[in-house]
Amino acid sequence: MTAPAQRACYVYGIMREPRDAAPCAAAVAELPAVADPNARVEFVSYRGLAAVVSDVPTDRALGTPGDLQAHARVLDALAALREPVLPFRFGTVVRDAAAASGELLASGYDGFVTALDRLEGLTQFTLRARYVESEVLREVLDEQPQIQRLRSEVGGLPESAGYYERIELGRMISDAITAKRSVDSAEIEHHLAPFTVAMTTAQPAAADGVVDASFLVGEERRQAFERAADDLAARWQGRVRMRLLGPLAPYDFVSEAMSDIKEGGG
Amino acid sequence: MTMSSQRSHYLDRPSSSGLVDVIDLILDKGLVIDIYVRVSLVGIELLTIDARIVVASVDTYLRFAEAVNRLDLARSGTETKGLPGMMEEIREGGGRQKAKGVLEGVKEKVTDALQSDPDEEQEEEPEERPRRRERPASRRENER
Repeated sequence: MTAPAQRACYVYGIMREPRDAAPCAAAVAELPAVADPNARVEFVSYRGLAAVVSDVPTDRALGTPGDLQAHARVLDALAALREPVLPFRFGTVVRDAAAASGELLASGYDGFVTALDRLEGLTQFTLRARYVESEVLREVLDEQPQIQRLRSEVGGLPESAGYYERIELGRMISDAITAKRSVDSAEIEHHLAPFTVAMTTAQPAAADGVVDASFLVGEERRQAFERAADDLAARWQGRVRMRLLGPLAPYDFVSEAMSDIKEGGG
Repeated sequence: MTMSSQRSHYLDRPSSSGLVDVIDLILDKGLVIDIYVRVSLVGIELLTIDARIVVASVDTYLRFAEAVNRLDLARSGTETKGLPGMMEEIREGGGRQKAKGVLEGVKEKVTDALQSDPDEEQEEEPEERPRRRERPASRRENER
């Protein structure tokens, strides 16, 4: 371990050095830093770029809920200023502030500049769509008579009996919901894609999940995008709950923004 | 949030992301700088949180079966979608938080696991057994 005095430098991300530092400083001034509530979030700059950093103790593991939230809050607060930000993976720590500028920013300089240009005017929004259980179950029963039949059979059995029938019933329902999920997820993509520059989707781990979709949205399309999301939420009200997070730092798109950039002193 | 705010009661727009949201958002995302060989990274141990749940398990099936059995079918199906049924639907749409069955049960399990005591969120470590993070690539499986 090279770090003296048990302190090191946590790196949240990289942005352009702002012409006016005040709004950036203000955006993060009240936010707790990762791992140390007394540390301040600061900017160290190098040739027009700025690394967003704070002091961290090195003698405890990172990753508590507070740590994770601190990381995201700092990045999202900066993204909300409509300045492009390159978020780093949680847990990125360098020796000290000098290493953040002299080593990190210096060695990745061209790539960071290119990626920031690519993300100019773009912010991430993440949509989480979740089924309303009772409603989606009703749909399944309405659409699939054989599930409805099995339900009546199982319903007549005592709790102790019918274990395998219940599993079969549940499996059929689960399959039916999976099929719905792909239809509804495609509808979300179809409905929102026109307002976005890029999109990634993932199937949520939760059983009620429809889709987790992240969108890269240009400033000029943002209102239209939000309206479209709201329209869809209205159309599916009572059936699908929709949560829209954002504007966020481009967590899902930063790697892509950095791709095709030769880097790393290789 | 100016013009669209009258409409957005359909869409949940949290002003800041909750813990579960944050975990999904940032875990395994973002730039990795060990590709920059000239940067000397300081290795700090990372706790890891595995927010995955197995979706298609016997447990899930049983929960679905139970939920569908509890379901009140009086207003579902093709037979009864008259005015009373529709009225009820409208009412239900208004009070969205009423359904609390399997699906939300599963979700709560994650939430519980992650914040066993929300008041101590800042200090407390996640429930998952801390372990060293290895290569940060393969832990989350997004494919079905």
